[in-house]
Amino acid sequence: MSFVSYAMILAGGLGSRLCILSEKRAKPAVPFGGKYRMIDFALSNCVNSGIFDVGILTQYRPLSLRDHIGIGRPWDLDRKRGGVELLQPFQGWAETDWYRGTADAIHQNWIQVEEREAEHLLVLSGDHVYRMDYRPMIEAHLARGADATVAIAEVPREEARGFGVVDLDREGSIRGFLEKPAAPPSGNISMGVYVFRTSALRAVLRQDGERDTAHDFGRNILPAMVHGGRVLGFRHEGYWQDIGTLDSYYRANLDLLRPDPPFPLEDPRWHIFTPSTEFPPARIGARAEVRASIVTHGTIVNGTVERSILFPGAVVEEGALVRDSIVMGESWVGPQAELRQTILDKRVHVGPRARIGFGEDLTPNRSCPEHLSSGITIVGKETLIPEGTTIGRNCRISANLIEEDFPDDTVPSGGVMERELNVAH
Amino acid sequence: MTAIPAVLVLVLAGGRSDALRALGRIRTASALPYGGKYRVIDFTLSNCVHSGLTRIGILTQYAPLSLHGHIGIGRAWDLDRRDGGVRLLQPYVRQRETNWYRGTADALVQNRNVIEDAAARHILVLSGDLVYKMDYAELIRSHEERDATLSLVTVPPPSEEPERYGFVHADRSGRVSALEEKPKRAGGGAVSAAIYLFRARDLLDQLRRPEGGPDLVRDVIQPMIADGARVFAHPHRGYWRDIGTVDSYYESNMDLVRPVPPLNLYDPEWLIYTPSEDRAPAVVGVDAVLSQSLVSHGARVEGSVVRSILFPGVHVGAGAVVEDSIVMHDARIAPGARLERAIVDKCVVIGRGAVVGHSGSAPERGSSWDLALGLCVIGKGSVIPAGATIGTNTLIEIGVSERDFPAHAVAAGTVIRPGAKGRAASAAPVAPGSAP
Repeated sequence: MSFVSYAMILAGGLGSRLCILSEKRAKPAVPFGGKYRMIDFALSNCVNSGIFDVGILTQYRPLSLRDHIGIGRPWDLDRKRGGVELLQPFQGWAETDWYRGTADAIHQNWIQVEEREAEHLLVLSGDHVYRMDYRPMIEAHLARGADATVAIAEVPREEARGFGVVDLDREGSIRGFLEKPAAPPSGNISMGVYVFRTSALRAVLRQDGERDTAHDFGRNILPAMVHGGRVLGFRHEGYWQDIGTLDSYYRANLDLLRPDPPFPLEDPRWHIFTPSTEFPPARIGARAEVRASIVTHGTIVNGTVERSILFPGAVVEEGALVRDSIVMGESWVGPQAELRQTILDKRVHVGPRARIGFGEDLTPNRSCPEHLSSGITIVGKETLIPEGTTIGRNCRISANLIEEDFPDDTVPSGGVMERELNVAH
Repeated sequence: MTAIPAVLVLVLAGGRSDALRALGRIRTASALPYGGKYRVIDFTLSNCVHSGLTRIGILTQYAPLSLHGHIGIGRAWDLDRRDGGVRLLQPYVRQRETNWYRGTADALVQNRNVIEDAAARHILVLSGDLVYKMDYAELIRSHEERDATLSLVTVPPPSEEPERYGFVHADRSGRVSALEEKPKRAGGGAVSAAIYLFRARDLLDQLRRPEGGPDLVRDVIQPMIADGARVFAHPHRGYWRDIGTVDSYYESNMDLVRPVPPLNLYDPEWLIYTPSEDRAPAVVGVDAVLSQSLVSHGARVEGSVVRSILFPGVHVGAGAVVEDSIVMHDARIAPGARLERAIVDKCVVIGRGAVVGHSGSAPERGSSWDLALGLCVIGKGSVIPAGATIGTNTLIEIGVSERDFPAHAVAAGTVIRPGAKGRAASAAPVAPGSAP
């Protein structure tokens, strides 16, 4: 019997490194794996772990997330006791402020913890892809009387540079944190999954709130707790992926297509729940070819689809080719159009004979070379790519563009198309 | 749009369909899986909500559990409502007289209180086992304009099996002069689609007659016509199929994988609603071949699937071939197996290298159990042993295990039942029309 019954999911951040995928939605609401949103993993882990009382802290563009969560029905979180609640910053009598950081978000909503008289609290991130039973971690936390317990994943040491690296002693206690170190001493990183003793967390949040810090769990709160208390590490075995960059997003999606996927999406013992769409089954036409791909309800395939993920309602017309690509809900790929290493956001219209992700020129993106340089081209929501247009690699095509926004029929590799600029520069 | 007058919908969904054989024994026809993710009744219920009709009673009797589980509180159709919504009407024990529903009219008679309490202007009586899309609002409008006692929807007569239909004779204005059930030879330009809109008070008058019989057509509608009541035909021009036999069920499903399907499931204005299952997206393997098929969530295809319908959770192993077949929920087609023109019910396992619907074995004349199309039907949960060869026109009953197969080669036209090993000889062809 675990004594942790309340979880708070941090879902407010702006995911700027996900480029235009998170331009119009919070990162946890970014579509993933054919029919999911990223937050489905944390939410499903909660209910599969027996936690049916969840608060989701939102701040940046919460509408898409709000629509997705609704009253929590797909997760059985529409409940009389507990359930799911979205906690958006609000105006109060005395103090009013936006969330200044992840820790501040929880501090501002401390009333939720107080009302529940919760002795311990589970804190999660809404933008990680993983399956985890939180119960063994909670049991370890309780058994060892920790102030905080931090889930730890092991990654190759060189990859640990982008994360918070944990310094563990032999007993599994955490001696210190290194945030994004240049030379990681190990590959043990914090997954952003925490169990806190609420009294200990409260004290640290109070102190931190009065200081000028980033009010961040990884950078401020946990180091402070290590300083004054007992913080344990808990190793998580199995797949875990932080979807921080466009490359990691792309890779995590395409990982699902491997003959030996890192984890099966279909596991009757550990369902990943999400609101279902009302579309009919996927329809595969007479001349279609589909290989090593994921298809969902409402997709219609009459062309060729290889190593790609088609979200609900995506349509690939006859003679079209979709390869190594992610096509989100209700996007349309016209006849003879070709997509290579392309991410189409929702309801993109690719005109006949258009080519996206074309050529071998890997010039990094002009405006964000640090995030778009591996060859992926991305097209924002509801944009219309005119018939016959050729778009190179590492391109960023903004949302809501119309035919007139494409004065030329070519966008070279590394190009950016935006409404205001109106030029492929 | 003018307000829709108060209409109570009653869906007849309790019938037992012997002609559906192993598919219909465990469930009423309305609950048959259809089109990859639906149950047949989804069409009727979706038509209702798209037409703005949200007061619905579903009359169930035969093997209703599958249907009850499917309908639940009606959430999938937005029928979990404060006013109206969906209600399941089972026969129940009464103080004085207790009976099963003895027929369609008797089912209405036993629910007369429901009809009276609804205080509706019209009663729309539908069948849950029909596949069609129809806007009932138009029917209601013409019914009111004509001040009709009864409007019955008609469709063009089917080319086959006229004895399964009722032929409608109407004059140019649509006034019906006769409804002839199961005629010896096809006559007239239209058949009844089993969609009836009654003026509530006229229906109640008819149901209150002490001499009333149990059948809706014979004992309610035909007497109304004979009495000169205002009965009108309302032609429906779109797709309409009665799936009450194995062959008609199969053909209607196969209509969906035709290059241009006569029934469009993808119309965003008229989606067919059904409770969705929490399944992962469908995964198509590296060596898979998929063509002219419908594939649902949870399916995993490693082999070849052509002109077929895969329901949620179906696995088709590497090198397996599925052609012209319907494969229901969670069936497993092992690597190297082959299915041709088969209907495979839920949770069936086809062993490695087994061949079902082996076209090499032509059906013997006169040995067919009742299928003109020569289909193989495999009942829920049955297991076909690895390496078995099952001829065309074969019925494998519900829950048949590997032990029940007398030999690895099963001749065309055979029926195999569970626990039949000791009666291996009885796994012989049965004559057409004999009892299942």
